[in-house]
Amino acid sequence: MTNAEPFEAFVRRYQDMVFATAVRLLGNTADAEDAAQTAFLRAFQHHAQLTANPAAGAWLKTTVRNVCLNHLTRYRARWRFFSELDEPGEGARFEDALESRVSRALEPEHADAYERLEHAVRSLPDHQRVPLVLFHFEELTYEEIAKTLSVSLGKVKTDIHRGREALKRLLTDHDAG
Amino acid sequence: MTPADDDLEGRIDRALRRLPPPRAPQTLLPRVMTAVRARSDRPWYARPWFAWPLVVRVLSIAPAAWLLYLAWRMPSPPAQIVAAASASRVLWDLMIAPLLPYVVTVVLLMGLACVLFGLALNYVLLERAEQR
Repeated sequence: MTNAEPFEAFVRRYQDMVFATAVRLLGNTADAEDAAQTAFLRAFQHHAQLTANPAAGAWLKTTVRNVCLNHLTRYRARWRFFSELDEPGEGARFEDALESRVSRALEPEHADAYERLEHAVRSLPDHQRVPLVLFHFEELTYEEIAKTLSVSLGKVKTDIHRGREALKRLLTDHDAG
Repeated sequence: MTPADDDLEGRIDRALRRLPPPRAPQTLLPRVMTAVRARSDRPWYARPWFAWPLVVRVLSIAPAAWLLYLAWRMPSPPAQIVAAASASRVLWDLMIAPLLPYVVTVVLLMGLACVLFGLALNYVLLERAEQR
């Protein structure tokens, strides 16, 4: 086990990247801080190898992504169950609820356009936000996302498409403004 | 994928790429360092075995090796243990063995019923959603 003091510089260097990945995948700050801490504690166990390694950032990013996905896996059954509601008919109420959640992100306190978009992404339900974030921010392919989340390729495409549709309204308003 | 879908993907992608990454809250560094120091200050015996000092790791293997050696060199069991084992064998042959096929059949049927129920539940609640 290494000394804790030199590790502080390592945490300072990567904390924004680790937190950004976690908060976008998990959708809330409290869980993201927990995930970031877990990832850094794992890094501390390998600190001697990571400090001089140029791939430390990539290692940390993969680690925090896995920590977040493991956290979400605990709720996988609920996640998949609620994704079934995201359909015509029964899903109309769900779309209304989602619209309302995204609309809340557009309220005046989120004045900055970037902040509004960031909040809108975090407001998406897990089954849409996670594949969307993995595709657009983590740059995974559809196939990699399907494999990572253990769901079908079709479901990944559908969920990402619905996530984009939910964000489209926000972008349209943004472009018009 | 339609041109409209491509356009939507492109627009969303461009918008998301322009997003500045959220900054870590100021509370993150202190809480991580507190956890790291707590972990670093733990005595060696409270850490994972692979983080123990090499000498202690080697010494900790010795008792396990000794137990294995004893098990290997164990002499034949005493007469009392042999007698108890024989009595158990008689009980098994007379009371349990005749019923065993029926018990195994019932357990297998119950297990099969559980699997079928689980598959049906999985199809109704989860798979149907993926197929659509």
